[in-house]
Amino acid sequence: MTYTTSGSRADEILRDLAEGLPKGEVPATLYGNRELYEREKRNVFARCWVYLAHESEIAAKGDYVLRKIGEDYFVVIRDENGGVNVLFDACRHRGVQICRADSGNTSHFRCPYHGWTYDTKGNLVGAPLWKNAFGGMDKSANGLARAAKVASYHGLIFATLDPTAPPLTEYLGGMAWYLDLVFGLNEHGVEVLGAPQRFVIDANWKSGADNFSGDDYHLGTLHKSVWEIGAFPVPFAANMMGYHIQASPGHSLSFSMAPDDSEPGPKFFGFPERLTDTFHSDLISDHQLDVARRSRVFVGNVFPNFSILALPMTEDGSNFPPTAVLTIRVWQPLGESKFEVWNWFCGYKNMTPEEKDRSYRAGLGTFSMGGAFEMDDTEPWITVARTGRSTAAEVLDLKLNYQMGMPGIGIAHPIKDWPGPGVVYWTRYEEGVQRNLFRFYHAMMTAEPGQWPALGFEQD
Amino acid sequence: MSALTVDSGLYTEVRDWLYREAELLDDGLERQWLEQMVSRDIVYQLPLRQTVERARGAGWVEGTYHLDERYGSLNSRVARNETAYAWAEDPPSRIRHFVTNIRVTPGAADQVEVRSNLLIYRTRQDGVNPQILSGERFDVLRREDGALRLLQRRVLLDLTAIGTHNLSIFF
Repeated sequence: MTYTTSGSRADEILRDLAEGLPKGEVPATLYGNRELYEREKRNVFARCWVYLAHESEIAAKGDYVLRKIGEDYFVVIRDENGGVNVLFDACRHRGVQICRADSGNTSHFRCPYHGWTYDTKGNLVGAPLWKNAFGGMDKSANGLARAAKVASYHGLIFATLDPTAPPLTEYLGGMAWYLDLVFGLNEHGVEVLGAPQRFVIDANWKSGADNFSGDDYHLGTLHKSVWEIGAFPVPFAANMMGYHIQASPGHSLSFSMAPDDSEPGPKFFGFPERLTDTFHSDLISDHQLDVARRSRVFVGNVFPNFSILALPMTEDGSNFPPTAVLTIRVWQPLGESKFEVWNWFCGYKNMTPEEKDRSYRAGLGTFSMGGAFEMDDTEPWITVARTGRSTAAEVLDLKLNYQMGMPGIGIAHPIKDWPGPGVVYWTRYEEGVQRNLFRFYHAMMTAEPGQWPALGFEQD
Repeated sequence: MSALTVDSGLYTEVRDWLYREAELLDDGLERQWLEQMVSRDIVYQLPLRQTVERARGAGWVEGTYHLDERYGSLNSRVARNETAYAWAEDPPSRIRHFVTNIRVTPGAADQVEVRSNLLIYRTRQDGVNPQILSGERFDVLRREDGALRLLQRRVLLDLTAIGTHNLSIFF
């Protein structure tokens, strides 16, 4: 092929993506192109609703945590009236960071440079020798910049920088139905079990989103060791039984579920029976409760970079039976070949301290940077990005195969009589969930400012 | 009790114990390390750290860890690395434990408290940029049937976000 420097590589990759997706092809360079990444920061992370924190992390007035939207720092703080504010960590005077800790409790932030001081709502409340320096200036026009919209769902706090973004529930679309049956199984709801674990990987953030959209097939190879040490109770082939669901454009998930309703295996993701006795359908539908009851594993991704996993695990199969681990995580971009994992463990608030401790330890020993599952995940992701930024992938026009479960390929087939929203396939030998992720990605990457792609499927 | 000096026999024994431990781990002899040097009652923790204002302390988050192991879970980690599917360490990392600033204080019956600085240098495949982890270890060794064994280890790393793609190694 001839090589030209004219035109935009990002445009070419996005064109290849659009042309390839119906055939189950994704350009390898999607996972490593710098220009594409620069556009992602603007078109994806500065527009979409992104996950920042759980309400239980900032339970008291003045509690705050420092989080990121794209690469940029924001203070997530509960104000004096109990509201949640998402404030850009940049003083309005010279742009200096005003929050110098990862978490804490405060009534105000004082900029270390000249002393401009802001309250918990981001209002400018003063500066040294105010009359001499700024007397007559309008304080109300000089508060901290803030996210355009903030909303929470089941305690999960999201924000968007785009004032034209649709409301959070509309953005979540069909995914809300599935979040309900993980986070809303009783009136208590969930809380975080401690502060988030953070670690940095030389890989592309989309590898995390791709994997948690429903890549169940990799368990049989990459995670084969965990069966040998008894960390996970459902055999690989049995665990491939279940549903792949494109909940709405961009948001995908997967359930491990036995074909037979009466199978004796784990119920409710492995939560202890004492807890599952408190699960009911006061807040959700009977259908949702039934889906949760039958589920051994839930894994899903809220576009772009917020993932959820619930499954029965143990860090020590010889001494402790598997119990539900509920982890939520953010794939925080740091470049086209670098991202940071933020990993929280969650538990239902009405779990006993012993149940929470068991779940936390099982999670640490499996789905954390030192865990038996996750320590292997990051190995292949590093070379997905190596391939993605390679010259060879570009020159050879390398396409990655996303064809599993397409018509005539494998055993997956569409399901019509499913009680929930979305496009649903039976058996998890299927990659439509990831094609759904990348179709919406393409739509966001090519949308004009202020324009939003469709948030529902045509048949919905 | 005050710290022992270098000319103390116990100090020398502890120092040699730490060097032998580092040698076993650097040589990939994790099973030997676990079975010969670790107590069945081990509590092995690597707590999570945040940046906080000075008034709030050093930033260790109560009850939150990167690693919180007991003998059974350490055994699971060692057993995992012995399977043919432990991709994280096959091919294995090159790992070097540098142990310095050893301070030894006799503790409760049969126990000795040890602080040491730790620098771990790690490379994988043909990478030339090493992963470096720096920290301090607070250990308690206990004499069991005449030999010192690791009863408690608390590893305090000089990081908030960890700059390695996993923690498949031992500290």
